[in-house]
Amino acid sequence: MEETESKEKFSGIKNFYEKQYKKLLIIPFALLLIAIILIGMKVAATGDFINRDVSLKGGVTITIPIKEPIDILNLEEALFSKFPGNDIATKILSQFGNQVGIIVEADIDKEQASQLIEEIDNALDAEIKTEEYSIEIVGSSLGASFFKDLSIALLIAFFFMAFVVFFYFRTFVPSIAVILAALSDIIITVAIVNLMDMKLSAAGIAAFLMLIGYSVDTDILLSTRVLKRKEGTEMERIYGAFKTGMTMTITTIIAVTVALLITQSEIIKQIMTILLIGLAVDLINTWIQNVGILRLYLEKKRKKLQQ
Amino acid sequence: MKYKAKKIIKNVRVIILLTFLVFAIFAINPRPGVDGVAIRSILTDTVAAGSGLQQPSPTTTPVNRERILNINNRPVNSIGEYYDYINTLRINQSLQIKTNKGLYRLKTKELIEIIELNETETKIVEETIIENETINDTLVEVSKKINRTIEVPKTKEIPTGLVEDIGIRVFKAPTTNIRKGLDLQGGTRVLLQPELKLEPQDLQTLIDTMSERLNVYGLSDLIIRDATDLTGNQYILVEIAGANEEEIRDLLAKQGKFEAKIANQTVFVGGKDIVFVCRSADCAGIDPNIGCTQSSGQHACRFRFSIAITLAAAQKQADATSKLSIVGDGGYLSEPLELHLDDTKVDELKIGKDLQGSATTDIQISGSGVGRSQQEAAYNALNNMKRLQTVLITGSLPVKLGIAKIDAVSPLLGEEFLRNAILVGMFSLLAVGISVFVRYRKLAVAVPVVLISISEVILLLGVAARIGWNIDLAAIAGIIIAVGTGVDHQIVITDETLKGERFISNWKERIKRAFFIIMASYFTIVVAMIPLMFAGAGLLKGFAITTIIGASIGVFISRPVFARVIEILLKS
Repeated sequence: MEETESKEKFSGIKNFYEKQYKKLLIIPFALLLIAIILIGMKVAATGDFINRDVSLKGGVTITIPIKEPIDILNLEEALFSKFPGNDIATKILSQFGNQVGIIVEADIDKEQASQLIEEIDNALDAEIKTEEYSIEIVGSSLGASFFKDLSIALLIAFFFMAFVVFFYFRTFVPSIAVILAALSDIIITVAIVNLMDMKLSAAGIAAFLMLIGYSVDTDILLSTRVLKRKEGTEMERIYGAFKTGMTMTITTIIAVTVALLITQSEIIKQIMTILLIGLAVDLINTWIQNVGILRLYLEKKRKKLQQ
Repeated sequence: MKYKAKKIIKNVRVIILLTFLVFAIFAINPRPGVDGVAIRSILTDTVAAGSGLQQPSPTTTPVNRERILNINNRPVNSIGEYYDYINTLRINQSLQIKTNKGLYRLKTKELIEIIELNETETKIVEETIIENETINDTLVEVSKKINRTIEVPKTKEIPTGLVEDIGIRVFKAPTTNIRKGLDLQGGTRVLLQPELKLEPQDLQTLIDTMSERLNVYGLSDLIIRDATDLTGNQYILVEIAGANEEEIRDLLAKQGKFEAKIANQTVFVGGKDIVFVCRSADCAGIDPNIGCTQSSGQHACRFRFSIAITLAAAQKQADATSKLSIVGDGGYLSEPLELHLDDTKVDELKIGKDLQGSATTDIQISGSGVGRSQQEAAYNALNNMKRLQTVLITGSLPVKLGIAKIDAVSPLLGEEFLRNAILVGMFSLLAVGISVFVRYRKLAVAVPVVLISISEVILLLGVAARIGWNIDLAAIAGIIIAVGTGVDHQIVITDETLKGERFISNWKERIKRAFFIIMASYFTIVVAMIPLMFAGAGLLKGFAITTIIGASIGVFISRPVFARVIEILLKS
């Protein structure tokens, strides 16, 4: 009994997915619109479309390995009182849930770096040795020019990708559908990353480049199967691509989640988080947006042929 | 089954992959149980430098680094063991250091502290002068080496009863030829930005002077190169393994424009006007006449060292002093000799009246260092002295540099990150294997996916070891994506071949279809990474290159193998 019920339910969804693809298109475009509005508001409020971390705006990051767990809130409070007016953040570095170190980020001048270390010393009531901690000091002008440079790189990469897609499919609408899906992935992911209050590093921008590569994969798979193959019905080909594409994305999501749970590196953690969000967003943009646009395109083509 | 295994082994593509794997493993050259500790550097003016131990060259492949195997027949297998033994040394103890390249004998020395007396003695130094000479009736400039006698303060040696540092710096012996990036092995990376745009030849001079400066300072395990970004900014990137940022920060950013002035007139400058800078303990160190002082909790120590300047510069100084008058009872001249470093006055020295108008070539340079304790002040004073000496020897850089970014990674954290990254890789791959198995319920798919992924990592590391590029955290991220896209492509191949069963019987056609999709995804990932190779002063170049090479290895070597293996295994 239950089995047939769930089957009916499933076939209901399937039916809706097959028949109402035009209505379904509202979802990805609404998401895209909301994301653009959120990013626009962010730009209006702060002048930046993302939160930049010290590697992109200048400042000091100190990573200190610890043996015994410490109260990070106390440390943060102590540092706040010593550096009023500066943006200071503390993070815990952990592996399998155990505290193994702390990270302190502060948007202070490079001249104040040793003062910061001294204050951490005081707050932790221990002297941290030079050979034990890692420090990253970024000048504010370099941070800004890095950010600009990496944004340009992202833009160029996107155009290169678009060129490859056009060259490959040589038809306007399907190519635009693939490019639009990649663009929507990036924009919606940026909006979500902002909502999470995540501060992006240089590696974070690199993660968006990776996302271009990963998100285009499933779209290319879909377009090739639907446009260049003749076997089966249009819907059968879409389901075939869906099965393969879901296997690809879910396998990647599982690997990324495992990496995210184990890694201690802030760089890898940020890259993996962005990929995870991006891949989830890509599911909507490939299987609703791209599929919808492709079907609309094929429908119009058929009508033209009939006339 | 046996027949299939035979068919796989005999396949040309499989043989090509296996051959490349063998090459890669040779390039990586893994030596898991390597013994001893590797030599990072040999300090100058130490007993180790005198024993014939060679300063390692930064271009040596990691496993070919000279390693200390035992000292006085006691095996040394960790940095801890090395320092534990070194700390038990006595004065005048004979040491036999056995390395993988030879046997070196040295004898420890007693650490001698030198005190300066109020007398002088003569010392002979070699000087290069340029003279005009007539050869075959033409006037030519000839450079000659002459010995000159200079006067230096007489000193007295006081034994301390302590053992002098033998001067060997070691690190954990590398077990493979894969060069670890700074963030995985610890060290300092400094990104410098010239204030003015430099022509290529000036940039080269700048890099040469900087690397000479670092070598004079005693740092040899380093990389200096220029870097640019997409908007055309120029940078100099310096990476030094095993150094901490405090000691090199000033050394790199200082232009090192040294000027000695009398009454606002420059009499000599660093580099070309200086023929000799004393760096041995008998004429350089904490000034024994003044020593260290303390005022309101701040300690200060003065250092001094002697230099010899060229005759031309000495004459200039004589001209400048001859115009001055004698003031006060002490018998000093009305204007002091001012020392300027990068347009900031760092010190001034009173000139004795007997030096007026005389072309003296021997000059004593002094300065100071401050600190919270006397020990810290003395340490800082000696560090300042070392930097000033280095700057005087190497001269100034063609342009001022600003420090744009400093990264100092502690070796402890670096090692931890590497261990963690390997763990991440293993678990992610395991997760991929399990999810592929769950999806297809066939070991014939899951096992090849995992094996092919592992072989891609090995090939990638082999290329890295062969061309000597560093594997850092960003490169590890690149490996992760290369393998990740690899798995995606293998899924495409599997599905095309499995699904193809229903529609097309031709295996070739099925594989061709899979590769149509794979090539599109390959080209997009490569073109997306290209701009990153030139952006951001090349700091993400490692990531971009690793991803591109990894994806290429996958597409051209390992994926065709996967396609064929799947074909053989799944074909009934």
